[in-house]
Amino acid sequence: MTTIIDGRELQPPEPMERTLEALDGLAEGDDVLLLLYCQPHPLFNILRNNGYVWTEEVLPEGTREIRIRKAQV
Amino acid sequence: MHPNLSFDQAPPISVPYRFFLVAPWFGVMAGILLAWSGADALASRWTPEALALTHLIALGFMLQAMAGAVFQFIPVAVGGNVWRPRLVANAVQPLLVLGTLFLVAGFLSSRFGLLSAAVPLFLLAVGGFVVAVALALWRTPATGMTLWAMRMAFGGLAVTVLLGTLLAESLARGLAVPMIELTNIHLAWGLGGWALMLLAGVSYHVVPMFQLTRPYPAWFTRGFGPLLLLLLLAWSGQYVLGDSRWPVATGALLLAVCFAYGAMTLWLQYTRRRKIHDATSLYFRVAMLSLAAFAVSGAAYFLIPAIGTDPRTVVWLGVLAIVGVFVSAITGMMYKITPFLNWLHLQRLGAPMSAVPNMKKMLDADAMTGQLRLHVLALLLLLAAVWLPGLARLAGVAFAGSSAWLGWNLICTVRRYRTFRDQIRAVALHP
Repeated sequence: MTTIIDGRELQPPEPMERTLEALDGLAEGDDVLLLLYCQPHPLFNILRNNGYVWTEEVLPEGTREIRIRKAQV
Repeated sequence: MHPNLSFDQAPPISVPYRFFLVAPWFGVMAGILLAWSGADALASRWTPEALALTHLIALGFMLQAMAGAVFQFIPVAVGGNVWRPRLVANAVQPLLVLGTLFLVAGFLSSRFGLLSAAVPLFLLAVGGFVVAVALALWRTPATGMTLWAMRMAFGGLAVTVLLGTLLAESLARGLAVPMIELTNIHLAWGLGGWALMLLAGVSYHVVPMFQLTRPYPAWFTRGFGPLLLLLLLAWSGQYVLGDSRWPVATGALLLAVCFAYGAMTLWLQYTRRRKIHDATSLYFRVAMLSLAAFAVSGAAYFLIPAIGTDPRTVVWLGVLAIVGVFVSAITGMMYKITPFLNWLHLQRLGAPMSAVPNMKKMLDADAMTGQLRLHVLALLLLLAAVWLPGLARLAGVAFAGSSAWLGWNLICTVRRYRTFRDQIRAVALHP
């Protein structure tokens, strides 16, 4: 299952807060899709240090699609 | 999961705050100096008071605040790390403060030996800062035009300080250099190559993020920084070419590029889907309108001889650029950075998400809006005082007042951080 968080019209740190909340309840095989207009480096650091991986794709109109899941052990 | 999250990449909160807390008080000093000096201070850009005022704000307010913001911005926006940020800040800030005071005292007293004394302080402070930041900016794996704009901005800062060194030593030792041309190049690199380049690079990141606009178009971000850099190099050619048409041509193009950045930011604000009218958005609007007014006034300076020959025109341009554009944009940024800093560092204490107060509780919205209104009044009075010198003292009082209010607002933000931190720690000890 994919949880979608559209952070494009939210003021920081709300996108990060919602993402961390979603990751709290993330099951094996599920992922979180975060939509933003910028690269969330503080979030990336948290993910890196806490066993998550992510992919990032930039759409032509500037939206960044960041897909986050638990790292394979 | 959340209490165990690692937030270890941001520098200690004291690093950006020590710069932010000092910056407004240089604005207070500038306001008091203008109120004390009165009508003659703004008669031309070469009066000792005008030179002192310029450097009090450009170095005391702008450089202090921008240095603090950069320490915080590099890890958050471009994923880099400044080497031992506490040590670098501890070394850089006292040198900057002392150097600025020496420089200002040198201008006011016309004792140029003081300018010479300021030189090694700035070379050490800015040199160390540029090296530490440049290493972070080159080592980060991040990409994008914010990063490139920041790299170019730090090159601009280095050029500005080297040219300032040459000017200070020339005055102190009586060297025969073309002072007017070198000053024009020095200020173009300081305001354009350093301050505007950094502001633009930061804007690419923070305007969409905090003001909820669409992103800057890719063609704009790819073109703006390199074009600004090329035009500054061309502007600097006036020193070697000696052709009076060269500064007019390159200056007009520089103004067009400045106008384009201001107009693009205003357009993004105007076309955003969710309208936010917080102090940061309004401050950015004041800054961008000032930038557009600067570009139009600058065009008049170059193209209409009666305006170009009046020494007050350059003072008008200086007020628009320094107070209108940069003090406004920097204040707006500090009002967004400091609540975010509080939130980020309170999260680091490991408390559950619900225990950390909302960002809106970190700084009172009415206090920010009130200070913004006083700043706009001060800006209008300063602009009016250029042509109506009788208003100079009042303008100085208003600017000192708005700067002091900013300083107080930032002190309140730090106090709230401490209060919330102590509450969270108390709950952790006695759940």
